[in-house]
Amino acid sequence: MSILTLNNISKNFGETKIIRGIDLAIEDGEKHAIIGPNGAGKSTLFHLISGLHNVSSGSIVFKNQEIQNRPPFEISRLGLARSFQVTNIFHRMSVFENVRCALLWSKGFRYSFWHLLGRQSELNDAAMHVLEEIGLSDQAQYPAGELAYAAQRALELGIAIASGADLIMLDEPVAGMSISEAENAVELIRKVTSGKTLIMVEHDMNIVFDIADRISVLVYGEIIATDVPEKIRANPQVQEAYLGEVASSA
Amino acid sequence: MGILKAIAKKSPIWIAYLAALLGLPLIFDSILAISIFNQMAIGIVFALSYNMLLGQGGMLSFGHAVYFGLGGFLAVHTLTLIEFETVYFSIIFIPVIGGVIGLLAAIFIGSFSTRKAGTVFAMISLGIGELIAASSLIFSDFFGGEAGISGDRTYGPTFFGVDFAQNDQIYYVAAIWVFIATLFMYLFTQTPAGRMANAVRDNPERAEFIGYSSRRIRFISFCASGLFAGIAGGLFALNYEFITEENLNAATSGRVLLMAYIGGLGYFIGPIIGAVVLTLMNSLLSNYTELWMLYLGIMFLLTVIYLPRGFAGFIMMHQVAWINNRIKSLAIPYLLIGLPSLVFLASIIAMVEMSDHEGEVFHYLGFDLDPESFITWAIVVGFSLAAYAGVRAALPQLKEAWESANTVPDNKDPKS
Amino acid sequence: MLEVFVFATLNGLVTGLLLFMLASGLTLIFSMMGVLNFAHASFYMLGAYFAYSISLKTGFWVGLIFAPLLVGILGAMVERYGLRRVHQSGHVAELVFTFGLAFLIDEAVQFFWGADTKNYRSPEILDFPLFTMFGQEFPAYRGFMIGISVLIFIGLYYVLTRSRVGIIIQAAITHPNTVANLGHNVPLIFMGVFGVGTALAGLAGVIAGPVLTTFPGMALVLGSIVFVIVVIGGLGSLPGALIASLLVGLLQSYAIASDVGMPELLELLGISFDRSHPLNDLWTLSLPQIAPILPYLLLVLVLIFRPAGLLGKREE
Repeated sequence: MSILTLNNISKNFGETKIIRGIDLAIEDGEKHAIIGPNGAGKSTLFHLISGLHNVSSGSIVFKNQEIQNRPPFEISRLGLARSFQVTNIFHRMSVFENVRCALLWSKGFRYSFWHLLGRQSELNDAAMHVLEEIGLSDQAQYPAGELAYAAQRALELGIAIASGADLIMLDEPVAGMSISEAENAVELIRKVTSGKTLIMVEHDMNIVFDIADRISVLVYGEIIATDVPEKIRANPQVQEAYLGEVASSA
Repeated sequence: MGILKAIAKKSPIWIAYLAALLGLPLIFDSILAISIFNQMAIGIVFALSYNMLLGQGGMLSFGHAVYFGLGGFLAVHTLTLIEFETVYFSIIFIPVIGGVIGLLAAIFIGSFSTRKAGTVFAMISLGIGELIAASSLIFSDFFGGEAGISGDRTYGPTFFGVDFAQNDQIYYVAAIWVFIATLFMYLFTQTPAGRMANAVRDNPERAEFIGYSSRRIRFISFCASGLFAGIAGGLFALNYEFITEENLNAATSGRVLLMAYIGGLGYFIGPIIGAVVLTLMNSLLSNYTELWMLYLGIMFLLTVIYLPRGFAGFIMMHQVAWINNRIKSLAIPYLLIGLPSLVFLASIIAMVEMSDHEGEVFHYLGFDLDPESFITWAIVVGFSLAAYAGVRAALPQLKEAWESANTVPDNKDPKS
Repeated sequence: MLEVFVFATLNGLVTGLLLFMLASGLTLIFSMMGVLNFAHASFYMLGAYFAYSISLKTGFWVGLIFAPLLVGILGAMVERYGLRRVHQSGHVAELVFTFGLAFLIDEAVQFFWGADTKNYRSPEILDFPLFTMFGQEFPAYRGFMIGISVLIFIGLYYVLTRSRVGIIIQAAITHPNTVANLGHNVPLIFMGVFGVGTALAGLAGVIAGPVLTTFPGMALVLGSIVFVIVVIGGLGSLPGALIASLLVGLLQSYAIASDVGMPELLELLGISFDRSHPLNDLWTLSLPQIAPILPYLLLVLVLIFRPAGLLGKREE
């Protein structure tokens, strides 16, 4: 059963066509990686799905509802969460507050100005639980902006999963990390997304082949292949797209 | 009940606050002091309401006086209605009227002005503020034109025999209102709406991705701040029994921005400090010099450049040193730099004042200064140069002491 | 009727071009640095006061040259030692800084020159009627104002689009980092643009002082209108600022010149209210009366229906 379907999605910025007619169906519970050279439009695709940009044409169906062109907060409430390539946290609030805010809507608080958060034990416990899962519970009181980079990325992940979303989209989650930090991060991702659907943009092929059930290859705004990792590895078109890139950066 | 428990936890601070509010006029009971306390009360509520927008919500408004002024105008009109018994209730409820009007105005104006924060919001607020201030001069039946309108607070049912003719009687009404307003504005920051306001301030984009409409959150903060600004306007009406177009206009909006900023935007207590400091400067300094506005301007600008987190920020900067128990090590360096700084300040002010008092001898800090005398100038300039040198000399020591007092023990360093 | 229209148009043109001189500097600074310079009208005021003091010693024309230069240098200093430091604290801090600067300049002007209105006069050479139409004279000085404004704008246009400096500035507006990487001294460019922008404001003050009166409140009078204009025209758009300036200048001029108001409208509809009606103020409203608030009304309408302004680019 497909939880997310993209039907012939296109996106133009003025004259420039960034996304050209993409069709994709993501299965419920699947771990799906999107790879491709820089500038292929991976982040743009994420922005289209999560509501940051409007599509130029086509439709996006999430849990049987059309979500294209809807504002991010509506889409998020349906159970779709995402993280960002550039760390996008609430830097002046404490680590704990960051996570607690991410939980608020799913716990039903809406725009309340009459609940005192200090007294909401279920909410606070849930927030501490998330912090434990991402390994930041002993840094709970520090302003988020003062954390080390890898810790901020963990918090980024924590905010995305806190609300219990069914579909989690991660945009280059381990970018900028050292090898050991990345290993820890991958373990964390595996742990927190078990049982959920994951779409991940990633450059590191080892991680991709490790986690993904299926891989889509995005080149110049089009998907040239969607398949299981072994078949992608053997696909000549993919090799050309990547070999060309690898050779030029050598 | 639960709210009372929450208050009970932090109760020492709140009890102290209430005690201070109620006890001050017992210690300083001159007419001038009471008048200053009344002004502070109004300023505290007004500045705190402004901080709901700026410090907590990240929305810079140049037109906040609108809600204050409208609240005040309705309040004065209500006083008159009470006087002629068209309505009849105790004047201690007047700030409620102010608050309701402030809220209604904020709902109306907020419905179209909270779409974005940042520069667009600031410009809309400026435009609306000017529009309403200018309109108030045109609609002189309601706003009284340039002369404003006045009322009398001694009518209506007495409160345990008190008719509020005296300023210290009205101060206690103001003190209770200040306490209530402060409490509720603080509690707001502890609610989902209040916290999300902080989140939207920090990162409106991310807030949307956790399920919240940034626009809605800004709207709620906007309305809440209008409500409390209106209450401040009601307090103003009760205190002065008089209100004019000036209380709606950009100058008043500017003053509350000053108060909040100097006090410190990022801290709840900041605007309280700012209101107190500015009221003191306004009332006391203006007795001694005509140039106090100039000094205020300079102080404001220096604060923006060197102390962007305000007085509260300056105090909170010492948090780490406090935790490390190294505060005492800073005492002597501060003294060594503080004394020459004060002398420097005093001599600069002396020079400015001398330029202003062309030709006439005037009294300054216990001395009679003659602007015409070359010797006086030489002495003052000499003092300023010596003091400046003293500050420069003491600076490295302060830096060193600061650094050592602020080193975080390694195992607690989040960056390691 | 025609004579009223012609003169109102000419006066509106004078005002509009003057406003554009202020708005263009403000727009340049905003485009470059993302900062809306609240103190822009204060530099305008300083221009008038400097020119006044200079003109007392050496006459109007020396003031015309040196006062804007002085203001520009002062502006560059403000950018270098004040604004640049505040920049790292964010846009709000910058706005608050320029707001405080406006406040301070206001007080400083009163301190140095006193709170009275200064008798800053236009030069005698231009003290003749340029032409007489329908029995009304149009002063040569106003013609001079129009002339100078147009000259400045042509110059500005050429510098921005044809000269090397201008192209670098245009590039630095959208891609400051790239321009820095190409070896250009971006902070210097910033300082220069701020200086030129404020110098333009000062120039406006020099030529407007004799006409709009030189007194400490002159910054307040024009300040908010200029903001309204750059927002209506679209933040960051020079052509937009031009259109908006002319629009506001002409609108106000026509409103003041016309004698039409609510009473005439009501008469047309055959309704009348007596003086004691509670909304009497509203029914006796006339266009000249609401002329001062027309720009703000326009601002609010534009911000509601077209938040990017008439020709604006999206806010960064």
